[in-house]
Amino acid sequence: MKPAPFEYHCPRTVDEGTALLARYGDDAKVLAGGQSLVPLMNMRLARPANLIDINRIESLAYIRDDGRALRIGALTRQRAAERAPQVAERCPLLRDALRLVGHAQIRNRGTIGGSIAHADPAAELTAVLVALDGEVTARGPKGTRVIAARDLFVSYLTTSLDPRELLTEVCLPAPPKGAGWSWMEIARRHGDFALAGVGVVLAVRGGKITAARIGLTGVGPTPVRPAEAERLLTGQTPSEDLWNGAAEAVRAAVAPDGDIHASAEYRTHVAGVLTQRALREAWERAREAA
Amino acid sequence: MKLEGTNTLPASVDTVWKTINDPDALRSCTPGLKELKATGPDTYQATLQIGIAAVKGTYAGTLSITDKRAPTHYKITLEGTGGAGFMKGEGSVDLEPQGSGTLLKWTGDLQVGGLIAGVGQRMLGGVGKMLIGQFFKCLEERLGGSA
Amino acid sequence: MKTLRRITLRVNGTAYTGEAEPRKTLADFIREDCGLTGTHLGCEHGVCGACTILMDGQTVRSCLMFAVQAEGAEMTTVEGLADGDRLHPIQQAYWDHHALQCGFCTPGFLMTTVEFLNDNPQPTEREIREALAGNLCRCTGYQNIVTAVAAAAHTLAAATGALRETGAAVPVSRATGVAAGPRKTRATRAAPHRARQTGKPSKRRSGPKR
Repeated sequence: MKPAPFEYHCPRTVDEGTALLARYGDDAKVLAGGQSLVPLMNMRLARPANLIDINRIESLAYIRDDGRALRIGALTRQRAAERAPQVAERCPLLRDALRLVGHAQIRNRGTIGGSIAHADPAAELTAVLVALDGEVTARGPKGTRVIAARDLFVSYLTTSLDPRELLTEVCLPAPPKGAGWSWMEIARRHGDFALAGVGVVLAVRGGKITAARIGLTGVGPTPVRPAEAERLLTGQTPSEDLWNGAAEAVRAAVAPDGDIHASAEYRTHVAGVLTQRALREAWERAREAA
Repeated sequence: MKLEGTNTLPASVDTVWKTINDPDALRSCTPGLKELKATGPDTYQATLQIGIAAVKGTYAGTLSITDKRAPTHYKITLEGTGGAGFMKGEGSVDLEPQGSGTLLKWTGDLQVGGLIAGVGQRMLGGVGKMLIGQFFKCLEERLGGSA
Repeated sequence: MKTLRRITLRVNGTAYTGEAEPRKTLADFIREDCGLTGTHLGCEHGVCGACTILMDGQTVRSCLMFAVQAEGAEMTTVEGLADGDRLHPIQQAYWDHHALQCGFCTPGFLMTTVEFLNDNPQPTEREIREALAGNLCRCTGYQNIVTAVAAAAHTLAAATGALRETGAAVPVSRATGVAAGPRKTRATRAAPHRARQTGKPSKRRSGPKR
């Protein structure tokens, strides 16, 4: 199981990288962590004629807190983000979701930008991006643009990024101080792809929910943001009935496919169960923070 | 995997029937179909280049139309083998008039095997449905419908 | 389109130079060009963990990296664990607790354990099981591996404690910076590899051409 031959390019700057993509974009793949791409190449399911290795573009690895949001360079290793104090402090949902991305060996190489650009239907990071109304910055032949999470994910493994664009930064608005959060997912074994996963953030004041954010993965071709469930929660006083109602709204919002790992009915059911548990945990954390 | 669906097309049954039998229409609307060469009545040699994102495979095979009951029913079979695996799709198509247009009902059995099926198991059903959806969307546009 | 590159990698404190296409994986380079066959190929698509090595102290799947990507980094493979004939405490624990049968998965497990106990010196059983979830074993049923890791944690903690108490050097070998010594069971092929260590280009090993 060896990859087919390719032309190897190793840019040292973003400009060099985008120049290579502009030139070879039609038959090139960007190599970041390689944890999703290289298996496909080893099995020859992907045979890009050109491989653009961005791992030496050091300027793309950073985590910055701009006061409103966490700005994470695309090449930041998942393991580094998982352990970064800024992430623990400003966006613990991301940290908790990252802990369930594959295994340590995968997170040591896998990158934040790479996971989002790859857009696996069961990825954790895509659901977090969507839940927090995040955005990504992409640079290509036409210049730099910012793409909102809701406009980024198109289908299985497909984003609205142009093949000649390089994703350079991921921006995650930090939840308000004191907000509760929870990431829950279910898989057959630790580290497997999620059969369903939910990320929840609850902003709370005076015993009522002022804002709710929910992001789901593993339940469709792209991450799901269940607007009706969020509407149901906003302004309400937490209770088991409220969590049940939100869970039902989430079930109505997803239409997963079944496969040998889990049926559509199971995934739908479990999406609701995980939502209930995540809401409960997020509420507990909000109360503790208060 | 068993799939099914219905589509409303903005043309008469006769027009739709002609279109779904037209090799030109099949060639341009079947996702990934690179070559369609007639080898006999209602039988074609097909080359498909199909996949999603970076995962692409080339499949060589045949497309055949059988069980023709003009102008309302036929079976269409597309099968191919390639380095990444093999696929076989069998579809049964029924047309009935609906107002000034046509209601197209299809049921299908899609089998995918080999490496692509093993690795891509969790996405096969969804991607299969998506590609079939693309086929009908293309037909719709071809028949003058809105995108 | 066969473009060979001269690649120099540092493994277990020694430099190895070879010529390879960019598509040659790090795992293959380590095995073929460095002659270090302790790193194994199980699935070659990042699932089984048999190819796990340390790169700058962190575990990576060497089948998912290309050799060219590892230039400039310090690699540690299973051959870098023992100190001559003295097994690393983690290896000793695996041995003592019968945590290997065919041994094919073992190098990968060992490297994962090295990083894990470094990060989490006093793990719970659940933490051990989760940490090992990225390595697959078809022989043992995992129980003895879990026991061995717990025992190794204990040994390592005790050794560090002894160091602090007595001030005397306790011969605990560390994974990094230790040059590989010849293993007892190793064939005499060890000798030709030393020639490679002086920086001379490596001869392509016999076997099917990749």
